[in-house]
Amino acid sequence: MQEEMLEKPQESNSMSKVFERLSDLKSIFKFGEKIVPIIQSLVEFMREIIPLLETINSSISDSTKKMPMAANQIADVTSATELATTQILDLVDDIGIALNNIESGLIQDEENRAKVAHLLAVIKEKVGPVHAAQAELDEVYDLVISSQLKESSIQLIEAIKDDTYKITLSLQVQDITAQQLAAVNHLIESVNNRLTMLVQDINQSDIRSEFLPEDFSGGGIHFDPNASYTKTEGKQDVADAIVQESRRVNN
Amino acid sequence: MALKFLVVDDSVTMRRIVINSLKNLGFNEYVEASDGRDALGKLSADPNINFVITDWNMPGLSGLELTKAIRGDATWGKLPILMVTTRGVKEDIIEALTARVSDYIVKPFTPQILKEKIETLLSRQ
Repeated sequence: MQEEMLEKPQESNSMSKVFERLSDLKSIFKFGEKIVPIIQSLVEFMREIIPLLETINSSISDSTKKMPMAANQIADVTSATELATTQILDLVDDIGIALNNIESGLIQDEENRAKVAHLLAVIKEKVGPVHAAQAELDEVYDLVISSQLKESSIQLIEAIKDDTYKITLSLQVQDITAQQLAAVNHLIESVNNRLTMLVQDINQSDIRSEFLPEDFSGGGIHFDPNASYTKTEGKQDVADAIVQESRRVNN
Repeated sequence: MALKFLVVDDSVTMRRIVINSLKNLGFNEYVEASDGRDALGKLSADPNINFVITDWNMPGLSGLELTKAIRGDATWGKLPILMVTTRGVKEDIIEALTARVSDYIVKPFTPQILKEKIETLLSRQ
């Protein structure tokens, strides 16, 4: 009897637990009713998005394949401009040599005219005071002596030399643009590496070995990413100030 | 003794421009090198080199590493070294001076600046 009394509260406890579980189940079903449409929408969304993701993947693969070609084309531009610059420098050198030859010729001509003038003076003396011949000799002498050809030509030659030298200095732009292009190539290489890793992660395929040429960095030019071509001397002024300060501190 | 320059740059264009400028200034003795390692070889082979003009960004041994190598050498340690480079930011210039370059030119340079720097360095010797 006493045992029966003890069992009754235990039974009542178990029943309340069962009801609790049933209540939980009911909540789950209710939640399920609400969540199912959401899951259905999600499935629909996945159906739509997967082809899009495949397109993106394929697009990334295509872009990755094209990057080495772009990098090579940039490297080709650098080579072409270097070749063209060398040709210009060769021509400038040839012009310099030609100008030096002209200058030497003019100096030689000046010496020859001095000799002619001297001979004319000798002839005038030997001919004696014959009036008509003296007048013509004087005229020839004046023509020989008064020629300004050498002075004016040498001034012109010096001006041309100065201009050709300025052309030479302007060709520093080739080195600077080569560094800028190398910096762009480096950037392309970095993006390509990232995209390649991404495509590899998605496809588990190795496209790098298939598409990347051995020399991707565009001729191995070592570059300053901040290289710029400017006519102002601002950067030089900054450098000079730092050098001066450094010397002052060290002395 | 006549001045003999070592012109170090990986760009053929820049080497020719620097050499043309030197010739224009009346300096006709020079040796060329395409990077730092090549420059050290030229220095070893030619004891008459007494002035170095070097770029910074070069493959192999850079201009900065070349400067450190020269300064650390008993024979060439006191050679004037003029760095001619596109690197114009303050930190770079300080780094070059710490490596003990003698002076610093930022590209593109003018002949007047090159002349001034060479004359200043020669007068300091």
